[in-house]
Amino acid sequence: MSGFFASGPVHTAVVAGAVVAVVSGVVGVFTVIRGQSFSGHALGDLGTLGGSGAFLAGVNPFFGYVTVGAAVAATMDLFGVQHRRGRDVATGIVLGAALGLAALLLYFDTTTSTTTGATITILFGSLFAVSPGTLPVMIGLGVVGLVLVAVLYRPLLLSSVSAELAAARGVRVRTVGLVFLVLVGVVVSLSAVAVGTILSTALLVGPAAAALRLTRRPLTAVVVASVLGLVATWGGVVLSYASATWPPSHTGWPVSFFVVTLVLALYLGAELVGWARARAGA
Amino acid sequence: MQGPAERQHGAGRTARHVVTAAAVVGVAAAVALAVDLWWPSAWSGGSARGAGRIVAVGAENQYADVIAQIGGDQVQVTAVMSNPNTDPHTFEASPGVAQVLGSAQLVVQNGLGYDTFMTTIERASAGSTRKVIDVQQLLGLPDSTPNPHLWYTPATMPAVAKAVARDLTALDPAHRGLFAGNLGRFDRSLGTWTRDMSSLAAAEPGAPVATTEPVADDMLAAVGARDLTPFSFQSDVMNGLDPSPQDVAMEQQLLTHRKVKALVYNRQVTDSLTESLLALARQHHVPVVGVYETMPSPGYDYQTWMQAEVQALRHALTTGTSSPKL
Repeated sequence: MSGFFASGPVHTAVVAGAVVAVVSGVVGVFTVIRGQSFSGHALGDLGTLGGSGAFLAGVNPFFGYVTVGAAVAATMDLFGVQHRRGRDVATGIVLGAALGLAALLLYFDTTTSTTTGATITILFGSLFAVSPGTLPVMIGLGVVGLVLVAVLYRPLLLSSVSAELAAARGVRVRTVGLVFLVLVGVVVSLSAVAVGTILSTALLVGPAAAALRLTRRPLTAVVVASVLGLVATWGGVVLSYASATWPPSHTGWPVSFFVVTLVLALYLGAELVGWARARAGA
Repeated sequence: MQGPAERQHGAGRTARHVVTAAAVVGVAAAVALAVDLWWPSAWSGGSARGAGRIVAVGAENQYADVIAQIGGDQVQVTAVMSNPNTDPHTFEASPGVAQVLGSAQLVVQNGLGYDTFMTTIERASAGSTRKVIDVQQLLGLPDSTPNPHLWYTPATMPAVAKAVARDLTALDPAHRGLFAGNLGRFDRSLGTWTRDMSSLAAAEPGAPVATTEPVADDMLAAVGARDLTPFSFQSDVMNGLDPSPQDVAMEQQLLTHRKVKALVYNRQVTDSLTESLLALARQHHVPVVGVYETMPSPGYDYQTWMQAEVQALRHALTTGTSSPKL
């Protein structure tokens, strides 16, 4: 472990991991309550398109994730609500087409420009590969997201639990839904930097679902989800650092693997606690 | 609930099916025509055999260049990988490559997993007369050889040139004299490069350098430089993986503490990490030497390319001048 706290890549990973864990935890709780986990996953996958396009344009893939994430979220919301029944199909078709386009862009990346490892970077990410220049932007977007949730807290919670009740109380359910989905798009972009576009929903949904298994109070769940997310990302950083001497390659296991595995372990732990409580109560 | 209405419109539906079918056929014909018009004529390899010249392919353009220098106007050479802006490690073969290989009589490829797609295509289009020079096999290297960039080893190209001359002579015995003369000229012209390397080794013995990727490691060894970058770091960058944070921290320290006299930077295998190292080197005034996986062309042949990179390294080590690109 010598040199762990003095290492530049570790500093960046710890800060980026914290930003992603806290924002994902907060937004994730509402995503799970609203039953929009699949939308979140679709938005994460679509980040692949943004990331591969950004590589081709020679800009940091994070900006591709955010742009595509926010734009597609707005589009999905505008079209999705009117055709409720066809929403799954429409999402599936758009997702397939966008990933096909991403495959083309990735092919161009590897055949026309010097983008070694673009595919692995985009799909599976790495907290250790976050460029220090991206960090301030990530922190800024994270703060904006948290402020937005704080401002919208009551109407968001009400419309998440019961849209009809919220509408009756004068909440503009449509607008809140649109803002929230765009927020989800931004959050999965942040977590795509940490664990890649394919795995980004793990951080959005996993800690939040575990927290909601432990407590029914939304505000407590938000705090618990953030803490669980921190355990997963920081734990992943420590384990990945420690794995440098492990077989077979002796160059360390990917940090994304540890983060996602810890998320699963935490969720299973929460399930176990919930099950034990239910038995004790019965 | 649409039952009666549907039956009334039965005839209309049949007509619509016919229109749909016609539209599908029309689109298919248009696509076929477009493909026919746009299919690159260079790919229809059949005509390439013309004029009695030997058709040859080099998997990388440095090998194609050597074939051309030995064969002169008796060969027609195509290079599969020649874009200096791409990373050959991640290159994928297109159907056009298969076409070119199908008509080739002589193929030179690197081996060591660097251009595996060549072997795949050769197996698929087995030609009994085709001669394949696999440089790994030619040099008798095991599959476990860590650094696949064989053309940076001074002994490689003379051996390749000799094998090319042998195979060209077998394909076209009438021009035996031409090939032998060109082989001698090629070997002599490598003298400038090898002399440059020995004089640099004498002037700057054991100069410490950092690298991003192992491409030029064999040349660095030949000029007596000490590469302080861990090989695990170089190998991860080469394979498009994220190096361990320990390796990254060590590499950064080589630059921030100015423990090295130059950063040797592979221009064709780059990612955000190698770019951040480039910025770090500039910030701490460590000169940068850009090196290439494939021959930068036009403007260079194999010998002048290698000479130019040794010159760039000499400038970096002796005067601290950066040469980010050739």
